[in-house]
Amino acid sequence: MPRKSRTITIILTAAIFILLEVAALSMIVRGGELQGIWVSRLSHRVMGALWGSSESVRDYFSLKSQNESLAQENYRLSLQVARMQNAIENAGGPDAGVGDGFAGDFRYIPGAIVKMSKNKQHNYIIINKGYEDGVRPQSGIITSCGAIGIVEAVERNYSYGIAFMNTSFNVSARIGSEGVVGPLSWDGRSTNKAILREIPLQTRFAQGDTVFTSGYSTIFPPDIPLGTVTGSGIQDGTMYEIYVTLLEDHAALRYITIVDHTGRDEIIPLEQMEDKKEGENEE
Amino acid sequence: MKSSRFFAIYLCFVLLQVLLCNYLNLTYYLTLSLLPVLVLLIPVRYSTITAIIIAAVTGFLVDFLGDGVLGLNMLALIPIGLLRNGLLNLVFGQEVFAHKEDVTIQKYGLLKFSTYIVIAQALFLIIYIAADGAGTRPFWFNALRFAISLPAGTLLSLFVADTLTKDYRDR
Repeated sequence: MPRKSRTITIILTAAIFILLEVAALSMIVRGGELQGIWVSRLSHRVMGALWGSSESVRDYFSLKSQNESLAQENYRLSLQVARMQNAIENAGGPDAGVGDGFAGDFRYIPGAIVKMSKNKQHNYIIINKGYEDGVRPQSGIITSCGAIGIVEAVERNYSYGIAFMNTSFNVSARIGSEGVVGPLSWDGRSTNKAILREIPLQTRFAQGDTVFTSGYSTIFPPDIPLGTVTGSGIQDGTMYEIYVTLLEDHAALRYITIVDHTGRDEIIPLEQMEDKKEGENEE
Repeated sequence: MKSSRFFAIYLCFVLLQVLLCNYLNLTYYLTLSLLPVLVLLIPVRYSTITAIIIAAVTGFLVDFLGDGVLGLNMLALIPIGLLRNGLLNLVFGQEVFAHKEDVTIQKYGLLKFSTYIVIAQALFLIIYIAADGAGTRPFWFNALRFAISLPAGTLLSLFVADTLTKDYRDR
């Protein structure tokens, strides 16, 4: 039998089979009350399963747009938090909010990672926002639970940044919201492990303690949770090095927020002036 | 066997099935049905579509003349018509189709023929018992009904098969 004719026969057979079975079922539904309820229940169950499956498939394919809308929402909330903190600061006078005073001075720009290397010792990120969107070099790249990198170079629509997974990258971090501060850097191996160094031996901490950004920089806002303490070791007999499991898995990133300190242009010259003075004194 | 003679005997067995449905209600646990074997023994030269239609008409006739729920036998019998060729291929192999010869107990032996009938009878009973119970009877009841009806139905079907294929044996 030719292939085409065989296909037609199969389709015809299936159609007749379904038609006759549906006819039989409809007779049963009309004939017996119990059978009617049974068929109706079965059909509801089948329809429920079908709708459920199609809903899951639809949900899966709409994840991208949902993520985008969540990123927008995150951006809006970050702005709102920054404004609120600014308002609290202003209401409390010049001494209020010491330690977290920078929060109100940050500008937030939502973005997405378009490219990111993960397998090198010096990894990089490319973001879909450039100077047309207001991105400046030395801006921070964050998520709600991680410092992801620093913008190094900016083009019209894209920016290039050094990723946290880079052995030359440090974030100023503290244990707990008021603990001691040290540089947090990537452990060089895993996508969600880091080491917090230069922690004095008298420091008290426990496994599970959260590590936050310290805010001692013009790049990252304070109090972004970065990870939790999972262990510690002693470095050169004088300092602790604390092992941190990051809250954000850097291998699975897509949406980020770029943070730009609006007062950086004033702070950096002051820092440079201080460095110059120290240099002169040493001479 | 000539088609006219086959279908005359076929019709007699359909009427016998109607009588069984109406007058032989020994127990709820026993469902005697000759219908699956009747569909299985439709000559091989008839296509699957024809087998499905014959099965549907047979089921409808028994439902219409019997005192059960209309559509019940039809619902359970149509899949047998659909799967008849598949079962023939599974149990007896491709040669049945090559020679277009009808299957008989004498030619293929009791074991193969019983397997052929048991599979069809089981399928028929599963659908029939499930639809008849309509989800109101407990599983053990349905299982017991199936366990009793399957051997009884198979034995009766072997007798029917022997009668329907007698012509071939006598040749």
